[in-house]
Amino acid sequence: MRALRTHFVLYLLVAPVLIYFALFVFYPLGMGLWLSFQKAGMMGPQGFVGLLNYQKIFVSGAVWDAAWNTMAIAAGITLFGTLVPIIPAIALAEISPDPLRRALQTTIYTPYLLSWVIIIGVWMNTLSPIGIVNAVLIGLHVITQPITFFASTTWARPLVVGQTVWKDMGFHALIYYAALMSVDPELIEAATMDGAKGWHKIRDLILPHLAPVIGVVFMLTLQGALHTFDSAFLMANGRTAEKVTTLAVYAYQRGVLQFDLGMASAAGVVLLALCLVVAALSRWLLPQGARV
Amino acid sequence: MLRAKGISRLSYAIMALLAASMVVPFWSVLVTAFSTRFDSFQPGIHLWPVPWSVEGFGTLFSRIDFRLPFANTLIVTAIGTALHVALATLGGFVLSQPGLPGRRLMGGIILLTLTIPSQVILVPQFVLFRQLHLLNTLTALIISDAVSAFSVLLMKTYFEQIPASVLEAARMDGARQVRLVWDFYLPMALPGVMTIAAFQVVSRYNMFTEPLLFITAADKITLQIALKSVVQGKDTVSTSDFIGPNAQMAGVVISILPLLIFYPLMQRYLVRGLTIGGVKG
Repeated sequence: MRALRTHFVLYLLVAPVLIYFALFVFYPLGMGLWLSFQKAGMMGPQGFVGLLNYQKIFVSGAVWDAAWNTMAIAAGITLFGTLVPIIPAIALAEISPDPLRRALQTTIYTPYLLSWVIIIGVWMNTLSPIGIVNAVLIGLHVITQPITFFASTTWARPLVVGQTVWKDMGFHALIYYAALMSVDPELIEAATMDGAKGWHKIRDLILPHLAPVIGVVFMLTLQGALHTFDSAFLMANGRTAEKVTTLAVYAYQRGVLQFDLGMASAAGVVLLALCLVVAALSRWLLPQGARV
Repeated sequence: MLRAKGISRLSYAIMALLAASMVVPFWSVLVTAFSTRFDSFQPGIHLWPVPWSVEGFGTLFSRIDFRLPFANTLIVTAIGTALHVALATLGGFVLSQPGLPGRRLMGGIILLTLTIPSQVILVPQFVLFRQLHLLNTLTALIISDAVSAFSVLLMKTYFEQIPASVLEAARMDGARQVRLVWDFYLPMALPGVMTIAAFQVVSRYNMFTEPLLFITAADKITLQIALKSVVQGKDTVSTSDFIGPNAQMAGVVISILPLLIFYPLMQRYLVRGLTIGGVKG
């Protein structure tokens, strides 16, 4: 009670933040859990149905497909999104003079700031059957007929993964680059004296130094990739939907478009469980120093 | 940095290639946008629109009035960013106060929200906004993401950087609380405020999932949703009405423009916030 009196103003100041989280994060989370055990439609919840929604989910091919799509896309994004940006980070550190380096850094960072609608628009244009990539491939006689990248079941998932990795490349490279700045120049100097080759320095000095940061980027990327929505939603069309409908997209279609709130909530809970399990697993698998 | 010639040369090649993968697609968008409708259907490598034409922009504006979606986005971005910054600053300030009972509990609750992906609570949020009669209002978009755990914790670290001895000395000198806030807290927190504001502007401007869910009324749609219908060539009534690649890319150009103006101004904060966020997770 005394604490309440002396710190009254402070509690008052933080109250809006706590109320916001309670009302718009924890309450929906609870509601989602509750709805997943209800038969719920346009008119709201119509009664407790036990595990029926979950049963429906696990016999529904659509949900299994969505779970599989989610994991395949998340695996691709996490693997490439974590490892590939190490290359430009090391390369950036080699580039002089400063203005050139900054210009390159700015350039590769720009896509990170753009919306998914714009990213998809840009690549639709570049990869269209009449676009520049097809023109080059035909010019080089790699292909004879243009590839319809955006209406192809083969390319759908690689494109979601590729565009995501490309969009986040500058962001992740910058994180690695910042970590590289703390490499002790004397270590490099000493290794050079000992006659170490460039590759060996990367393998024996740079990569071990980056290891904890690689762990952090891995976790960030994985968590983001598991709830892929915008990119998958925008890439899905009649041809590609079966390959890119992720759990988040499925929950949206089921809940908001078809108004089957019970089943959509159950799909959301499955996605949450998937996120938590993967987070726990990777936390356990990662070396001690790399834990977030 | 590595003192190895081979790697240094390779680095330039890699960065040139990577930068090209960013520059070429965007250049290609510009070329398509400034081509005539007929030319924008021609396959091949076009490095320059021949002839230059703003036909695409004309088609775009005759089909879709971008002014209203743009105004809606502007409102949501301005108010939403201000709200987010204000709440994050308040939260960070309170959590940085040493000796406040319940501080750890509140911090824990806020941290907990980080484990809940927003996509998981999308459907219940939709139900909640429906109950609150906020569907089809810009208020719904402003309230979504009104504050985040990440922003609160970032502000907290900025406030904690103020040495306790400095504050103590000022108090001894008889400085009032208001004076302390003005002279010490605000200057220390300003970089944090700018970082959060910069990222909020970008994320609000790009907001896609929320308007997709909460908005169906034509007069409340935001820029990204309007752009989506252009890019995907939806609501095409007949083949003669078919919106050409030039008009689609004209839409992309117009939507990128505000961000490209904003980016250089705020680059410092966008880059710094990012490394803080990345390294501290």
